[in-house]
Amino acid sequence: MFTDETLDALGVESLWRKSQQFAQESRGCQTRPVHTAEAEIQPLLNADNGTQTDPQDHLIYQLPPKGELRPESPGLRDFLHRVEDMVVKELASNAKSHAFDGFDVNWEDQNETVSCIHCLQHPSAQEKGLQVTSISWSCTGSVIACAFGRVDDGDWSTEKSCVCTWNLDRRGLNPKRPDMVIDVARPVMSLSFHPSQPSLIAGGLYSGEVVVWDTNRTQDLILAQTGMSTDTHREPVYQRSEQVCFQVAWVPGPRRGEMVVLSAGSGGRVLLWTVDSDEGRLVLSAGFALIRQQVPHNSALSKNRGSSNVGVTSLALSPWDLDTFLVGSESGLVLKCSFSAQTLAAAPPDGESVTLRAPAQFSFSPRGGPVHSLHCSPFHRNLFVSVGTDGLAHLHSLLQPDPLLSLRVSDSYVFGVRWSPTRPLLFAAATGQGLVQIFDLGRKSLRPAATLDQLTGGQPVYCLEFNPRRKDLLAVGNADGSVNIWHLSTELTEQGPRETAKLEQLANEVAE
Amino acid sequence: IATFLGRKLQPRPQNEVEETLKRIQGQKGVQGIIIVNAEGIPIKTTLDNSSTVQYAGLIHQLVMKARSTVRDIDPQNDLTFLRVRSKKNEIMIAPDKDYFLIVIQNPSD
Repeated sequence: MFTDETLDALGVESLWRKSQQFAQESRGCQTRPVHTAEAEIQPLLNADNGTQTDPQDHLIYQLPPKGELRPESPGLRDFLHRVEDMVVKELASNAKSHAFDGFDVNWEDQNETVSCIHCLQHPSAQEKGLQVTSISWSCTGSVIACAFGRVDDGDWSTEKSCVCTWNLDRRGLNPKRPDMVIDVARPVMSLSFHPSQPSLIAGGLYSGEVVVWDTNRTQDLILAQTGMSTDTHREPVYQRSEQVCFQVAWVPGPRRGEMVVLSAGSGGRVLLWTVDSDEGRLVLSAGFALIRQQVPHNSALSKNRGSSNVGVTSLALSPWDLDTFLVGSESGLVLKCSFSAQTLAAAPPDGESVTLRAPAQFSFSPRGGPVHSLHCSPFHRNLFVSVGTDGLAHLHSLLQPDPLLSLRVSDSYVFGVRWSPTRPLLFAAATGQGLVQIFDLGRKSLRPAATLDQLTGGQPVYCLEFNPRRKDLLAVGNADGSVNIWHLSTELTEQGPRETAKLEQLANEVAE
Repeated sequence: IATFLGRKLQPRPQNEVEETLKRIQGQKGVQGIIIVNAEGIPIKTTLDNSSTVQYAGLIHQLVMKARSTVRDIDPQNDLTFLRVRSKKNEIMIAPDKDYFLIVIQNPSD
C-alpha cells in the first residue's frame, strides 16, 4: 500500500528579493608609451659672487619698495622742520646749563642713621643652643622666616629644630614670640620663600631632605617632601645619606609659571624637584653631579685627594640669564654652571630616577677654603661677589677667572654676602666676628661704608637678606639664635646719579 | 640736480626726516628720541620697543594734562614746550597738533 517515492523539490521564487549583484562593466585603459630622454650639462665657466646687507642704521626705518615712494606720515617733515631748531637749542643749552647743579629734592623722609628696629628671638630654640642658619623674606616683604640648626656641628646631628616666621607688618608684633613655629625633625640648613606665592617655604635639612611647607594649612604644614617616593622602600634618610643640603632655591620650571625647587648639597649633587602636592612629595625632575674630574681646570688645583665629589656649600642664580648658575664648593672652587648642560656626569648611579649631568662650564680662581656665599649683581649681568673663609670679598666678572677686586672684610671667616637691591655699588657681608660690613664701591677708600654690630658678643653672623619690597630693611641671622632687623639710612639705600655707569666701568676693568 | 644715467632722481622725503632725527640724536647727552602721533602711537623711535611704548603712553597723557592746565588758566594761552627733569635725566617734549617729539637727554653725560 505505502511505497517510497521521491518527488522533485519544488522551488518558489521570491517576489520581493532581488539579486544583490549589480550589473558590472569593466573597462581598462593605458597611456601610450611615455618617451623619456636623458641629457647632461656642465658649465664651462664658473664665477663666484657674494652680497651682504649694510649694517642697520641706528634709526629704525623701512626702505621704500623699489621704484615707488612709501606714503609717509603726512606732515611729519613739516612738523620736524618747525620744532627742530627749538629742540636743538634747548638740548644744547641744557647740556651747558648749571641751573640745577646741587639741586636735590626730598620726596621721602631722609633717614640719617642706621638702627636695629627689631631683635627677633625664639626662646626655646635659644635655650637649646640652636643657631640661625638661614633667613628668607617672603615675596611680599612682610614676613621673615628663619631656620634653626647648627653650622659648626661636625657630627651627624639628629637634633630637632624648627622654622619660625614673624610678620613684621602686624600690629602687636612680639619679637620674642614667632607668629608661627614649624617643628622639624632635623636641623634646617637652608630656607627659601617661593618667589610669588607667599605661603610656600622650601627648606633643606641636615639629612639631605628637602621639604616644602605651606603656611596656609592648619594641620600638617608639609606640602611636599623628598624621601617619600613610592619606588623605593628605603628609609627617607638613607636615600640621601652623607649629604647635607646646604642650599635650596626656587627656579623657573619647564612650564610657564611653574617653579621647581633646587637643592644642592655636600655630596656634589644639584637636584631639581617638582612639587607634587597631591601626593605630598617632591619628584626629582633633573639632576646634576659635580665630579672633580669633570670640572674645567684653569690651573693644576686638584692637589688634595679625597672624594671625587665636589661638595656644594653655596649657590647663586643669575637674575639675568636663567640658564646660568654659580656654585661654590667646600674646597674653594667657584664654578659657572649651566642648567642646559648635556654632558653626562661620570658618577655611579645612586638610585636616582634621572640621569645626572655635569653642569660645570667654567672655573674661577679657587680660594683656600670653603666658599660660604655667592651672589650675582642685580645691576650688572657679569658681576658677582663671593666670600669664604679667607676673610675677603672677591668681586668677579663672569668673563674671566681672576677677581676684579678683593676687599678685606674681616680677619675671620665671612659667612654671607648680598648685593643691595637698590644701590648698584653697595653690598653687605656677614662676618664671623658678629659684624655686618657694608661696602660702597663708589667710595675711594676700601674701608666699609657702615658697620652694623649685631651685639652677639662676638658670635658669628651666618646669614643676611635684604627685604625685596621695602628697600631700607636688612635682616641678619646670628649664631646666638636671634634675627636682627636693621633699618638702613637713606645714604645706603638711595641710588646715586651715576652708579650704574660706575659699576659698568668696574666690570670692564681687566684684572692685572 | 642729481642725475643717474641722464635721468633726474626723485628726492626721497624719507631722508629729510632721518637727517633731522640724526641731528637731534647727535646733540650732547641725548639718550633717545620718540615721535608720537596725535593718538599716542609711536611712529618713529630710537629706543627699544617696550620702553618706547611705555614712554609714548605715559607722556601722551602727561602732555594732554599739561595742555589743559595751561588753557584752563588762560584760554588764549597754549602749551609750547614741556620739560620733565628727574634725578637721572630730562625729558623734553615738543607738542604739536598732529605729533609730539620726545627727546630724552642726560645733561651730565
